[in-house]
Amino acid sequence: MSAVQVTGVSKIFNQGTPKQVDALIDVNLTVEPGEFVSLIGPSGCGKSTLLRLIANLLEPTTGSITVNGKSASQSRLDQDYGMAFQQAGLFDWRTVAKNIELPLELKGWDKEKRAARAQEMLELVKLPEFAEMYPWQLSGGMQQRIAIARALAAHPPLLLMDEPFGALDEMTREYMQGELLRICAETSTTVVFVTHSIPEAVYLSNRVVVMSPRPGRITNLIDVNLGAKRTEDTRAAADFFTGITAVREALRGTHADHANAGAVRGVEDR
Amino acid sequence: MINANRIRRILPPLAFGVAFLSLWEGVVRGFDLKPYFLAAPSKIFEQFFKNFARIWDATSVSGSNALIGLIAGTVFGVAMSFMLSRYRFLGELVTPLAIALNAIPIFVLVAVLNNMYSITSEIPRRIMVSLVVYFIVLVNVAKGLTQVQSTHVELMKSYAASDFAILRKVRVPNAVPYLFTALKIAAPVSVITAFVSEYFGGSQNGLGSRITSNIANSKNAAAWAYVLGACLLGLTFYAVSIVLESAASRGGVASKTNNNK
Repeated sequence: MSAVQVTGVSKIFNQGTPKQVDALIDVNLTVEPGEFVSLIGPSGCGKSTLLRLIANLLEPTTGSITVNGKSASQSRLDQDYGMAFQQAGLFDWRTVAKNIELPLELKGWDKEKRAARAQEMLELVKLPEFAEMYPWQLSGGMQQRIAIARALAAHPPLLLMDEPFGALDEMTREYMQGELLRICAETSTTVVFVTHSIPEAVYLSNRVVVMSPRPGRITNLIDVNLGAKRTEDTRAAADFFTGITAVREALRGTHADHANAGAVRGVEDR
Repeated sequence: MINANRIRRILPPLAFGVAFLSLWEGVVRGFDLKPYFLAAPSKIFEQFFKNFARIWDATSVSGSNALIGLIAGTVFGVAMSFMLSRYRFLGELVTPLAIALNAIPIFVLVAVLNNMYSITSEIPRRIMVSLVVYFIVLVNVAKGLTQVQSTHVELMKSYAASDFAILRKVRVPNAVPYLFTALKIAAPVSVITAFVSEYFGGSQNGLGSRITSNIANSKNAAAWAYVLGACLLGLTFYAVSIVLESAASRGGVASKTNNNK
């Protein structure tokens, strides 16, 4: 059974009005359990829309989506996935531990079980001593680690991430990428990851989904052959650069219709 | 260290105040200004202590009008902001009326209200204060309930949270600092409204009417003594609103604004 199955999905905003936007046209995608899949493409290619469709925060105009064999809406009701955004989105009025407990509160867990799980998650993201602090007392990278801990608190099999490291500096970002891979390996979580950054997509993923705008669609699926275990040395490996070049060329292809587009707009090339 | 810091902070405004009062006293004496033109601070303080009991009575009248109006206005304002954030169409119905009410000089409503109640009733003034407070609280709290981070709402939806859960865990906590901001604005305004309402008839027992009657009788220093009472009452309201704010959000959002900014 696939972790995510997207079949013939289109999403059209403001259909039939002058402001109609074809956000996604005929998208098919299968994500297997344990896989790490990145969605990459220039602004407006519908990658965030696709993520929100999988999360059932949006409904597809046509087509169907299943998550863990269930309909997207059922899996949202069952909290089958955790979600993290570019903004950590922590609640300033809750302590770090209470932030992590939020999804468990909504699942109706009792207090002791929640506290124990929060502590377990804090240890997973290596911030156990910060339980009683408030989010605004933490750095951006720490806040994002708490957001990941919160997303995984209920041990969902699937993690959906929308540019979670987009607002972090480069060094923190690389550290967070390593941490994310470690956490996902320890918890055997499937990840769908939206990013603007080519190296980030290649470093993290088993597969990179390249998308193109107007209308939003998938143009390439690129397998990354970096093996299961990735370290800081991976960033200097030949296969890493091969992967980056493959993704970059696929992204250029998406701009073939923009005659003289030398560089890919909206995609970070660092 | 803390004491030295505190003294360093308190000293300049204190010195400025003393200097200002001395200058005032000096000008009045030096130019031999007549009391009906400008009373000397020494005379004002003298009148303040001489009439303390009467000033206290007048302050209690105006103060209780302001307090009752403040509480009623806050309760109604909070209730209405919940309604508005829940049923957006209500906002479209009510907003034009609210703008219309705010566009007229709101104090003149007191004259109208005075006609509706007996001449000795305090109710028109309290209604007046409630109305002014109501709008301040309504606007701010409604903003706090509706202007929540979109990430927070998406996150709650991803947890399959009900609208009620989103209200309880996101909107209400988000609105709490807005409520205290509203109270900080509304507390001194409620006192001012209570005074000014007294200018439009009704019982002559509050600070506002005492100030006018003393001025009418050329008892300028006594009028100023009542102004001093009014000033102290306004400050008390403001100080209480600040204490409430820090008590309600200890360790939370309020200390964030204190520490980081």
